[in-house]
Amino acid sequence: MNESRIARRVSSRVALTASAAALVLAISACGGSSSDKGSPTSTTAGTKLSAATLNGSGATFPQAFYETTIAKFQTVQPDVTVTYAGGGSGKGQTDLAAGLVDWAGSDSTVKPEDAAKFKTPFLYFPTVAAPITVSFNLSGVKSLRLTPDAVAGIFGGAVSKWNDPLITATNKGVTLPATDIVVVHRADGSGTTANFTKYLTKAAPTSWTLGTDKVVNWPAGQQAGNGNAGVAQIIESTQGSIGYVDFSDADFAGLKSAAIKNKDGKFVAASLSGASAAVAGATLNADLTYDPLDAQGATSYAITAPTYMLISTTYGDTAKGNAVKGFVKYVLTDGQDLAGYSGFARLPAKILSAAIAQLKMVKVG
Amino acid sequence: MTLVDNEMRSGSVSLLAGESPPGRRTDSVFRSAAALAAGVVLLILGLILVTTTRNAWPAFAEEGLSFVTSSTWDVAGAAFGTLAFTYGTLVISAIALLIAVPVSIGVALFVTEMVPKRLRAGVVMLIDLLSSVPSVVFGLWGILVVAPAITGVYTNISSALSGVPVLRTVFSGAPISGRSFFTAGLILAIMITPIITSITRETFATVPRAQKDAAYALGATNWEMIRGSVLPFSRSGIVAGVLLGFGRAIGETIAVALVIGSSPQITQRLFSSGDALSAVIANQFGESTGTYQAALIGMGVLLFVITLVISAFARAMIARAERRIGAESV
Amino acid sequence: MTTIDLRDGAPDLGEETRYSITRSRSGRQRQAINFLVHALFVIAFVSIVVPLALVIGYVVTRGMKVMSVSFLTDDIPIVTRAPGGGLGPAIVGTLLITGAAMLMAVPLGILGGIYLNEYGAKRRITKAIRFLAEVMTGVPSIVMGLFIYTTWVLAFGVSGFAGALALACLMLPVIIRSTEEMLRLVPIDQRQSAYALGGRRAGTIFRVVLPAAAPGIVSGVLLAVARAAGETAPLLFTILTVNAVNTDIFHGANTALSVQIFRNAQQVFPGPQERAWGAALTLLSIVFVFTLIARAVSAIFARKHQV
Repeated sequence: MNESRIARRVSSRVALTASAAALVLAISACGGSSSDKGSPTSTTAGTKLSAATLNGSGATFPQAFYETTIAKFQTVQPDVTVTYAGGGSGKGQTDLAAGLVDWAGSDSTVKPEDAAKFKTPFLYFPTVAAPITVSFNLSGVKSLRLTPDAVAGIFGGAVSKWNDPLITATNKGVTLPATDIVVVHRADGSGTTANFTKYLTKAAPTSWTLGTDKVVNWPAGQQAGNGNAGVAQIIESTQGSIGYVDFSDADFAGLKSAAIKNKDGKFVAASLSGASAAVAGATLNADLTYDPLDAQGATSYAITAPTYMLISTTYGDTAKGNAVKGFVKYVLTDGQDLAGYSGFARLPAKILSAAIAQLKMVKVG
Repeated sequence: MTLVDNEMRSGSVSLLAGESPPGRRTDSVFRSAAALAAGVVLLILGLILVTTTRNAWPAFAEEGLSFVTSSTWDVAGAAFGTLAFTYGTLVISAIALLIAVPVSIGVALFVTEMVPKRLRAGVVMLIDLLSSVPSVVFGLWGILVVAPAITGVYTNISSALSGVPVLRTVFSGAPISGRSFFTAGLILAIMITPIITSITRETFATVPRAQKDAAYALGATNWEMIRGSVLPFSRSGIVAGVLLGFGRAIGETIAVALVIGSSPQITQRLFSSGDALSAVIANQFGESTGTYQAALIGMGVLLFVITLVISAFARAMIARAERRIGAESV
Repeated sequence: MTTIDLRDGAPDLGEETRYSITRSRSGRQRQAINFLVHALFVIAFVSIVVPLALVIGYVVTRGMKVMSVSFLTDDIPIVTRAPGGGLGPAIVGTLLITGAAMLMAVPLGILGGIYLNEYGAKRRITKAIRFLAEVMTGVPSIVMGLFIYTTWVLAFGVSGFAGALALACLMLPVIIRSTEEMLRLVPIDQRQSAYALGGRRAGTIFRVVLPAAAPGIVSGVLLAVARAAGETAPLLFTILTVNAVNTDIFHGANTALSVQIFRNAQQVFPGPQERAWGAALTLLSIVFVFTLIARAVSAIFARKHQV
């Protein structure tokens, strides 16, 4: 008990500085956006939650967002300790199923055969969305426009030179060299790879043959880096390279990324607003899951990945149950303002209000 | 250290055996506690084999023999063939040994034959320091310093060798990021040199003086003495050292994961990226589930079995060397 | 370099022998080969000193850039790419996890070593255990990580303790073997006199044998600890990672210097890369201090037991 209190004090100290920085950045980043209507404290901080510890694990893709949000949440609710251990979507799902954690993060929906393994039923809460960039390093080339088939060709190994017709066709006026393309993919199993390959399966079904998962059978001779930052590390230092990197890391690393042709036939560059548009263009299912990959809409960024929080429908411990609800609500309200800082796109109001409404289904006590 | 002769131990045992009854109970309690502690080793090794194999079983059952014979590692298609990783492991270990063995023997001879006795402790200390550098520190240095710097060297080597038949293929191709089989082998070589050095050095130190003096008496130079007396005498010790280094190279994980490039392929081109068993486990385990995770644990079983066989061989060699020394030094 | 006397390696060479070498017939050519080979020995030695110097040089120069009191005590930034911050939680984690591993492995290892040397030296089971302990030292550390994952983490979740278990498994055989070797060096007459005074076996071991071997055992333990403190692979899936200090090693994720180096080495941003070098400097200092103390202790021990 003592120790966790110390840990909490330490982390709340960090939280203060981190959140101050976060707010400054968030405000300066999405300055003109219409989203800052309500005052930050009016939404959730009203009731003070009693002491509880919420352990979470799961997807590493949204980890930066959850960690920032947790730090900020604990300044508002100092008696609640929230942890997020990462470990991957699969781990989050199995941990929640086994009752090892109180909440889980997941980039993917639970497979029907796994849903039966959950001790108590669970709910999906979409939290943020994130664009996955196709970043490149090619001297003299500032911008690149790629079709889904070109992306599939490059990453599948069929397109091996920069001046391949599949690339030049959409890049008139750009001088592309006859050099080899160095493809960089993830060395570790990752939700980013799963979403990226899922996009290719959906948008380029004929030219993408490697399927979709956290690791696929990449062609020999490519490069691989660990984590988004590891891929970015290789792209940054390798002439003629191209790889998929989440928006936040690509953006902060200053990598150039390609505009991707979306379902409406428009080339849209990776951006948070493009991701928000993609989310708005996707159909929301009854269980609040949705698929923003290759979504409709003229301004939608094609490779936009969703991510969810999974929580149980019943919590026997009243303090814990209220804390979970309070934390989820915080993520869906004030937390949305922190999304931009960690490189994620906030969700449209329509989805947020549906998610907040779904909180009523969680039974406490 | 392992080559201390057995005289003393056997002496102490015969003495202890003739001990008198009083206080037997305290003794037996202590004795069983000590036996239990020693037995833990047995327990752990057994548990490692049982639990990892059991957890890897889904993958073994699904893949059968193709787990080791196929090189298709396709999580999406649920195909888990590990041949390309095993290939990478063996290639980088071979590179490491090719570099480390001659260097280690050279260093060991330098220490035993050239360094004056009073400086020897200092030199040995230096080698100890090298062996105590954590693998992850070598990895950090490898990925941030060596790999970027070495691409130029690789390019020069491949253009210099472009006319030589076999070497042309082995060292061909434009090295891309510097993360490659060869870089991994190089870093591994640095890491296993102290191990091989210390075993061979201990063996060299036990060569009976009579053998050396006999060579000198025949008018041999120092090198002729080494070739004629030290090296033949130390053969099993050297083999043991090499095997131990080999075992270490095969199991080494973090430094390899950082510099090998993590792109599995079976190729003769040593300057291109590859992947190794240990590195794949380290990189991919975090997000794995189900059969995929079972396959990764199965690679652990594979590593365990390979290193078990190698170190059993090495220990047998050391035992042989010890017996020989025991026989000849009497 | 080459001023080292080539004949020094055979210091007990009589005057006569040296004379005969220099007088032999194809002398010049053989001497040249001799010289060349010895030059190769020197080159071999230089070729291991250079990487050692380079690694230490880089770690020290890059690490010193970020080294400060706040670097050693501050929390790890929540957003990895952020510059600044510190590695306090990783230092605490490394010390706690290695310390816990030590508490488990040292008593067991010393007891095991005592058993092998003092009780069953000639028995078949002892030989088998000694052999297995030697084989166990060769088990790759990542396999130890998988082992603890399958036996402990799957049942009880990740924690600093799970990492400590993995490290303890790595340390145990090393401590058993080094303890046994050190006990072997204790002269028989010391035991004999204890028995002559009516001492019992356990008592003799505790009062006579162990104190005599203590410096050697301590040195072996320190070396094993130094090795364990730098391990990364067994910690990757047993402790995961955290940004704030977690002093409860039984619950929740933890972190360690080695793990932080591994993660930050693969970052494109300068902030985490700097933290990786700083962590490397901290880790290397800890490991070197342990190694040097171990060597100093064993040097004293060796002097005492010189035959």
